[in-house]
Amino acid sequence: MSRQTTRAVDPRKVSGELFTLTYGSLVAQLLKDYENDDEVNKQLDKMGYNIGVRLIEDFLARSNVGRCQDFRETADVIAKVGFKMYLGLTPVVANWSPAGDEFSLLIENNPLIDFVELPEGHSHLNFSNILCGALRGALEMVQMDVAVWFVQDQLKGDNLTELRLRFIKRLEDAVPAGED
Amino acid sequence: MTVYNLYIFDREGTCLYYHEWNRRNQSGICKTEEYKLMYGMLFSIKSFCSRMSPIDQKDGFMNLRTNKFKLHFYETPSGLKFVLNTDLSVGNIRDTLHQIYSSIYLEYVMKNPLCVQGDVIESELFQTKLDDFVRGLPIFATKLS
Amino acid sequence: MGIYSVYIINKAGGLIYQFDNNIPKTEVEKTFSYPLEMTLKIYDDKVVVAFGQRDGIKVGHRVLSVNGINATGRCLEDGRDIMEMLSQEANYPVAIKFGRPRLSTNEKIMLAGMFHSLYAIACQLSPMPQSSGIQGIETDTFKLTCSQTLTGIKFVIITDPKQTGHDLLLKKLYEIYADYALKNPFYSIEMPIRCELFDTNLQQAVEMAERLGLTAS
Repeated sequence: MSRQTTRAVDPRKVSGELFTLTYGSLVAQLLKDYENDDEVNKQLDKMGYNIGVRLIEDFLARSNVGRCQDFRETADVIAKVGFKMYLGLTPVVANWSPAGDEFSLLIENNPLIDFVELPEGHSHLNFSNILCGALRGALEMVQMDVAVWFVQDQLKGDNLTELRLRFIKRLEDAVPAGED
Repeated sequence: MTVYNLYIFDREGTCLYYHEWNRRNQSGICKTEEYKLMYGMLFSIKSFCSRMSPIDQKDGFMNLRTNKFKLHFYETPSGLKFVLNTDLSVGNIRDTLHQIYSSIYLEYVMKNPLCVQGDVIESELFQTKLDDFVRGLPIFATKLS
Repeated sequence: MGIYSVYIINKAGGLIYQFDNNIPKTEVEKTFSYPLEMTLKIYDDKVVVAFGQRDGIKVGHRVLSVNGINATGRCLEDGRDIMEMLSQEANYPVAIKFGRPRLSTNEKIMLAGMFHSLYAIACQLSPMPQSSGIQGIETDTFKLTCSQTLTGIKFVIITDPKQTGHDLLLKKLYEIYADYALKNPFYSIEMPIRCELFDTNLQQAVEMAERLGLTAS
């Protein structure tokens, strides 16, 4: 995944398919090693988290986005800037909870699941669970504690992929001095 | 342009005088604590700057800024420290601080036999003169809001 | 002239990267006859000038060598105590080299931590609400510019007071950090950065900013 600003001319650009294949074989290998859907979900989440805590700096360094003052703004930035920059797609933000602390990201063409057919007996596996971890990690670094999980998954026969985010709390202790 | 507040410290760290004009935020601690914190910060910044400097310094630390204010610092060889906080649009006002020292502090405190050195300044004449001086500065543009 | 050094400080106030680009050397060597017409003292386990500034030798300068033998701390490399040696008339005339002390790694770590606290104190003392911490310090010899990211990393550059283009350089440094430190899977977050690619790219950016900033001013 190369950065968006230089995508057209970046000679280091790799094919999206190669990326999808790499991710697919990674999940397949995890399944072989752990033989347990929940454990694989956990591992993917952990990997995603480690990506998120690093990727956030790249995001901030290049996007010129300031601090979000409410969760709706956060939702917009994730969908319109973050996903666009790193996955080349813009999910729809929908299904807000009445309190405004929960929303869904609706994804129609999740590039991670191109070519994937889930074998029998893996109804608990969240194939793209790495996304949940990445979002959680990235938001934690900007002092927001969130929970992220899959509600719908096209791999399991749903019409689209739905990721749900819930705001838990602001990590006040971690807010650097001079911010806010 | 506007002026927020002024601190005068003697070389022992006593706050001899404090006055505020357009200050909008309090530090959340009592004034005496605030003076100590301010003096402590200046003391550390001075030492920080002299160590950090790649070449030999003469005046040393002059000012610092955040995204909301600029702190101007002037120290006399005798160790008196003048600190004026203004908004960001104010440039170098070393001369102004020197003037507060030479034409107000010197005239109305040093030359006033009733002002004991090292004591908090209570002279009303000093206070009015200083207030007039600061209000008359071009950088003291009163805000309309 | 130009950009002197770069510091990167993590959330906890720890120094995770430091680079000295272009620090002018101040060294003066002079031959003295007895008695020495300046006062020396021991400070921080080093011999420094306390009083009696002359011929470019300033108060605060450290004794770097005596008769060509380098000083380590308060002694010379051959083990002789500097203060004692200079108090004996028999050792004169003597050639002493003085210079401005360079910061040791420990001092740099200490200064970074100090800046981290000053940054926080400045926003508490702000006369205006919702102030950031220190973004700039000006002295007669250098200018410090700092930018803190939303995640709490501070990038600090020390430059000549006349240098321009600080904001651009700070932004560039952040990008280099995101690219060559964070994207390196073997770099652990919050830890000192030891990546060659990071070093080279940072140095290039600093050199470039130095050239651009000087032509602009």
